[in-house]
Amino acid sequence: MKIGMIVLAGGIGKRIGRPFPKQFLLLGGKPLIIHVLEKARLIPDIEQVVITCPEQHLEETRRLIANHGFDERFACIVGGVSRQESVYLGLRELTDCESVIVHEAVRPLVTVAEFRELIAAPDPNAMYGIPISFTVLKGHQYVEDLLERDELVNVQLPQKFDRAALAAAHDAARADGATFTEDASLFHRYAGAPVRILPGSERNIKITVPTDIVTAEAIYADSIGRGG
Amino acid sequence: MGRVCVITGASQGIGRAAAIRMSHEPDVSALVLIARNADGLRETASALERDGKEVELIAYDLMDLDGIPDLVRRVHERFGSIDILLNIAGYADPQSLLDTDADNIVKTYTINVFAMLLLIREMTRYMYDRPAKILNVASTAGITSRPGWLAYASSKAAVVSLSATLADELAGSGIKIYSISPGRTATELRRKLAPEEDPSSIMQPSQVADVIAQLMRDSEVTLDGQNIIVRTRA
Repeated sequence: MKIGMIVLAGGIGKRIGRPFPKQFLLLGGKPLIIHVLEKARLIPDIEQVVITCPEQHLEETRRLIANHGFDERFACIVGGVSRQESVYLGLRELTDCESVIVHEAVRPLVTVAEFRELIAAPDPNAMYGIPISFTVLKGHQYVEDLLERDELVNVQLPQKFDRAALAAAHDAARADGATFTEDASLFHRYAGAPVRILPGSERNIKITVPTDIVTAEAIYADSIGRGG
Repeated sequence: MGRVCVITGASQGIGRAAAIRMSHEPDVSALVLIARNADGLRETASALERDGKEVELIAYDLMDLDGIPDLVRRVHERFGSIDILLNIAGYADPQSLLDTDADNIVKTYTINVFAMLLLIREMTRYMYDRPAKILNVASTAGITSRPGWLAYASSKAAVVSLSATLADELAGSGIKIYSISPGRTATELRRKLAPEEDPSSIMQPSQVADVIAQLMRDSEVTLDGQNIIVRTRA
């Protein structure tokens, strides 16, 4: 089975408070996106990797990929105006793949083992998720309703899908003008096929706000045996 | 397929001893020996345990930084892989602060630091798909004060630092970076630094080479990123 991978690198750096996109922030001396791509490189099962990035950062991303010695398995394309559109465009580059893994550059602490376990999972569609460890309520200015955290899951990436089914789901969502912040939701709504939830890791954090980098540095140092 | 080992400074001293020692490693299939002195390289080659191993001698002056990417590319084209890099080439012309000049400082840093960094940068491009190892030879001069050896000692301190930094930066890539700091070793370089010393009374290059060979074995996975001091005690 041919497996492809989409790496979303579409950030423009607003929330992290830096003048450049998050995917270029350094963690342990290396850009976040390189951490992700290095792990993909170690998995021969992933035959093709498509990196989606904003047009203004396309050359910079290509330069990074060349500098770090990634071969022709890795290609950059211009992403869409939304995350959803970037996945859609990535899927169009992977039409000869039967399975597709979706990951994002700003989750650099994903492990090779997590990618391998996702690939090995018998379900064609699967995602990582972790329990919600805090209380969540529905509401904005006032509490509007309660949510049972035991019924909820904190959605993580990477995720894996049957490529054709995910592409069809994206087509359907586009036709409806429906938008989603990640693909398990979109797939659940439009594909009508089950998505297995695999136990994720608290260490696989998403770099979103400036303090996340501080946390990530500590996790990374520990992961490479430099944590004391 | 065996491992391809590239050694700089292989025409004499620790570099030659390392080449000879690595030629006895059964899983090393090819040795690429680099040094400025072609005669010295041939002398090293004549002392190798060939046993079916390929040996390539490359006379190259590491002062030519611009040529390093092409040098590495040609090695990779020739052998198809690079598994071990031993950065052993070194330069020393000890001068006190007020006696030294820019040429001396630049040459010392170019050979000992800049060329090493560029070799590592270029070689790592070809090492990502294998459990590769890089070893940099620093010196105990890089970790203690050495009046009169300003450029050399400080350049070796840079080697210690860059090795520790790269060991962390490349962690997880499969490439391990080692740094060793030999103490007094009976090399041509040492003769320049301490001309009055009896070479037979200090550590021999072959003893340092034994340590290098141990570190370069696949089974060694715990000592990367540290500055390993190598010396004999009376």
